[in-house]
Amino acid sequence: MSAHHHHEDIQSLYEGDQSKLYSGVLAHHSDIKSEESRKQVKRIWQVTGLLSLVTIIEVAIGLGAHYAGVHSALILTVFLVLTIVKAAYIVRVFMHLGDEKKNFVFAVLLPLSLFIWFIIAFIVDGKHWLHMNNTQADTINIESTK
Amino acid sequence: MTQASTATATTSKWGGGQSPYNVSYGKIMMWFFLLSDALTFGALLISYGTTRFASNVWPDPNEVFHSFPVLSDLLHKPMPLMFVSLMTFILILSSVTMVLAVHAGHYNDKKGVIRWMLLTIIGGICFLACQAWEWTHLYHTGAWWGSFIDAPLDSVKHLFNMHKPGTAEAIAANPSVAANATHDFYNYFFTITGFHGAHVTSGVILNIMLLINTVNGTYERRGHYEMVEKVGLYWHFVDLVWVFVFTCFYLL
Repeated sequence: MSAHHHHEDIQSLYEGDQSKLYSGVLAHHSDIKSEESRKQVKRIWQVTGLLSLVTIIEVAIGLGAHYAGVHSALILTVFLVLTIVKAAYIVRVFMHLGDEKKNFVFAVLLPLSLFIWFIIAFIVDGKHWLHMNNTQADTINIESTK
Repeated sequence: MTQASTATATTSKWGGGQSPYNVSYGKIMMWFFLLSDALTFGALLISYGTTRFASNVWPDPNEVFHSFPVLSDLLHKPMPLMFVSLMTFILILSSVTMVLAVHAGHYNDKKGVIRWMLLTIIGGICFLACQAWEWTHLYHTGAWWGSFIDAPLDSVKHLFNMHKPGTAEAIAANPSVAANATHDFYNYFFTITGFHGAHVTSGVILNIMLLINTVNGTYERRGHYEMVEKVGLYWHFVDLVWVFVFTCFYLL
């Protein structure tokens, strides 16, 4: 493919390619060895270090709690918070959601707030069934009373 | 085009002819697909959590997942959390190589894309190999979908009581809870890690297709590597789900 035909070929081959209109994927970045590029790569490795560190902390707490025989709500909460931290970094930096427009970020994240209701409702349900099984099992399961 | 945008300048930017999100169709649809997939995984994990909350006792992951290939037999001692930490680390690293492939794509660096994609594929295959080992190992201990095994009622070592101290008393009061909890635990474990493993498998296949296209110069001719970005989103999502699976099954 000769150089002066290059642009035309793209046009005819990918007439419907919206990527060229939006997203700025054709906005030519400078060299991969440029200062800007190096900064971005450095950030990626920083986040890698952070994700590894958080995982190591989680494993350390997990092993500590296991050998000490501790099962507490506090430890569960710490695990959940650390999980959310890891998830946030993956979505923001690795998936580049942090670089998108605010309205798009909300379009993706707002539906996920359903999980708040989802988790609360189902935990309450599970607790209720535990309570029923422990206190009312005999009235429900006639077999076991015989 | 220029006249058209001038004429509609007074109307809403949501009125058409513009891209309010400034994201291409394919990328938006990938995000919305991932959103729906997140709801599916969320439903599975929350269902698991509900069952666990409704049980007096539950298998202790540190007792169930305590093996490491070769090492745990060699040292004759359980190694809880070690193997899954290795798996987690492999998946995080393959996510990093993927984001570096996307980065190389932004700069139209074909060689860079090829190098990082190759490493991403190797990482994905390593993770799948680890999962295959873990499943096989568990299967040989008697664990599978529908299995009640590993919960002999005279042994409560691998169970812990989440709600009150004294697993033994809870089982003495109602012996079937131990078998039921183990049964539920394995059903959820194999279903959820299996569903995740299926995602990793299809991710590896997509990554191989990307690599072939990159080597063949498809994206170079197209003028951009957005396909690497879109598949990259999927690959990161698979890593993201594993972060939650790791917490729910191995840590909590």
